[in-house]
Amino acid sequence: MNQEGPSLEHLLRRLAETPSDFLAEPWTRSGRGNVHVHAVVGDVLACHECGMPPGESWIPDGSGPSVRTAGVALLICWLLADPELIRAKPAGPALIALLTDGAAELAGQNAAAKYCTDPERREELVRFALGRLGFRPAGETVAQATDRLTALSSIERNRVLIASRKAEERARAIREALARKAAQESADKYTRE
Amino acid sequence: MSTGEPNDQERYPLLGEAGRRMLDFLREHPDAPVYRNHSGNRLDAEDLAYVRREEAAVLSSTVGWPRGGHPDWLGDFVDDCCKEVPHYAAYAPAARFEELPTISRADLGRDIAAFVPDPVPLDRMINFQTSGTTGHPLLLASHPRVAAGYLAYHKRALRRFGVSLTAGRGDVGVVLLGHQLTCFTYVSVTPSMDEAGLAKINLHPAEWRSPADRAAYLEALAPEVIAGDPISFTELLLITPKLRPKAILSTSMTLLPGLRGELEKTYDCPVLDLYSLNEAGPVAVFDPALDGHVLLQPRMFVEILDDNDHSVPHGKRGEITLTGGFNFCLPLLRYRTGDFAALDFVGGEPVLRGLEGRPLVRFRRPDGEWLNNIDVTHVLRPLPLARFSLHQRKDGGFDFSAEGPAAAIRSAHEALAGLFGPTARIDTRPFPPVAGSAKVPQYSSAFAVSDA
Repeated sequence: MNQEGPSLEHLLRRLAETPSDFLAEPWTRSGRGNVHVHAVVGDVLACHECGMPPGESWIPDGSGPSVRTAGVALLICWLLADPELIRAKPAGPALIALLTDGAAELAGQNAAAKYCTDPERREELVRFALGRLGFRPAGETVAQATDRLTALSSIERNRVLIASRKAEERARAIREALARKAAQESADKYTRE
Repeated sequence: MSTGEPNDQERYPLLGEAGRRMLDFLREHPDAPVYRNHSGNRLDAEDLAYVRREEAAVLSSTVGWPRGGHPDWLGDFVDDCCKEVPHYAAYAPAARFEELPTISRADLGRDIAAFVPDPVPLDRMINFQTSGTTGHPLLLASHPRVAAGYLAYHKRALRRFGVSLTAGRGDVGVVLLGHQLTCFTYVSVTPSMDEAGLAKINLHPAEWRSPADRAAYLEALAPEVIAGDPISFTELLLITPKLRPKAILSTSMTLLPGLRGELEKTYDCPVLDLYSLNEAGPVAVFDPALDGHVLLQPRMFVEILDDNDHSVPHGKRGEITLTGGFNFCLPLLRYRTGDFAALDFVGGEPVLRGLEGRPLVRFRRPDGEWLNNIDVTHVLRPLPLARFSLHQRKDGGFDFSAEGPAAAIRSAHEALAGLFGPTARIDTRPFPPVAGSAKVPQYSSAFAVSDA
């Protein structure tokens, strides 16, 4: 969240005005649905001057979770097509991670329509997307943006919890590594301070 | 990953026949001291290739940055720190480098784990312990490659004095001297110098079968380089072994020109006064031609800051603050060292002037005039003192302790009397002969800075 992105209000308004095409059912290989999410993702990434990652597919296999994930990815595409976000030049790897892992995480909580119609979920999606792209809403500090996102998003709360647990484990491992006899014995230096 | 006592295979993974013979020679010489500890280079073939690559880079790179600017690697370094190092990752974004917070020894002491980058593997981590000047021990994360990396900076410093190291198979590359009641002592070999020997010895007589063995052993080793501190060098001058080192490296404490002169005269070689920290390795070496310490690390940026983390103008004294370094286990981002100097540029090269180990301390003369510790250092400079400390009591009197020849201590007392005036009460006493390894504050005063 080190960079300032577009304003929250601007992106919330954009999401509230999502065209129905971006909420339609994703097309699957079995012929269900009517929006080719994979193609839409390709177009949006092209707007950001980012190529399609090889081996990645946004065509759902027909299972419930894969269809929901593709639906959320489609909604995120609408958000990412915002000209101000395009001008902010988010990094390619972050865009792809948002459209794959990020979309799957959000879809695990709610369907795409909920992120569009429910004001709280709408704010969650906007803040989540900005955060994953390394942005915070214009006019907010990192601390404000972080606090608001963790208050709104159970995914984020979970992520923070896992990250802090990992950090604690790493810190403990470092302390243990430094306390080993082999670490204490040190290694040769040509001078000693 | 071994969790117990390391074995020789772990200490010297590349040990060859020449190295084994060298270790036996160092340990089993009839005049050898008691070796109390073990150490090793810990370098495997990949490490050795890394150390050689780094050495070539250190010796071929320039050191410095445009006056008033930053080195070109700084931006990427800061980005990496803020991504990978837990402590720095918590920083709020800063538009300018100078807006980033500073850290100090106390931060490292609180939780060293927060300063180790996330990608650094832990299985071969080692630690350096330092007692420092405050008495609070500090445990620092490091790696065998970092320890071996010191040599590159020493070579860079030595090159400045026209010395290149050539010790190899069958030679002793370096003897590190200590003179303390208890001292970490060991033998090893240096793979990047074809297994030249390395010995860290304690000159304290209790560590030897006979005090006379000290000179005999040193003469048998005939090291290419002698490293130590002013206390051990003072003892060396008393023992006076017949040695022809290419250079003497002094670290840890202020090396007064008087003692440096004695060493140069006795051993007819350059004596390098290194500014080196456990936290950062060798930072600078004193160059008499420039009357200052020149920097040694191509990837080390130095700022001189006031108490409010603001840069002071060039030529003004302030706290030496380091960013960068070669210890990839402990990247430093605006690390306030607790040491003070002014930064100057000579021919585009950054030079630290008037390096002093701690903040300015002011002393009050009986006539009310204030002098600072630099004035004191100045009058004591010509004397061959191993170390000294000066404290001003609340009653205005001075406690002065010094270690060195009796005549030098007497001269120091007279010099201080001349500086502070004939009515100043100066109680002079020698340091206990061996006061252990703890650093003693060189200057202190019962008067608060606000009294000045």
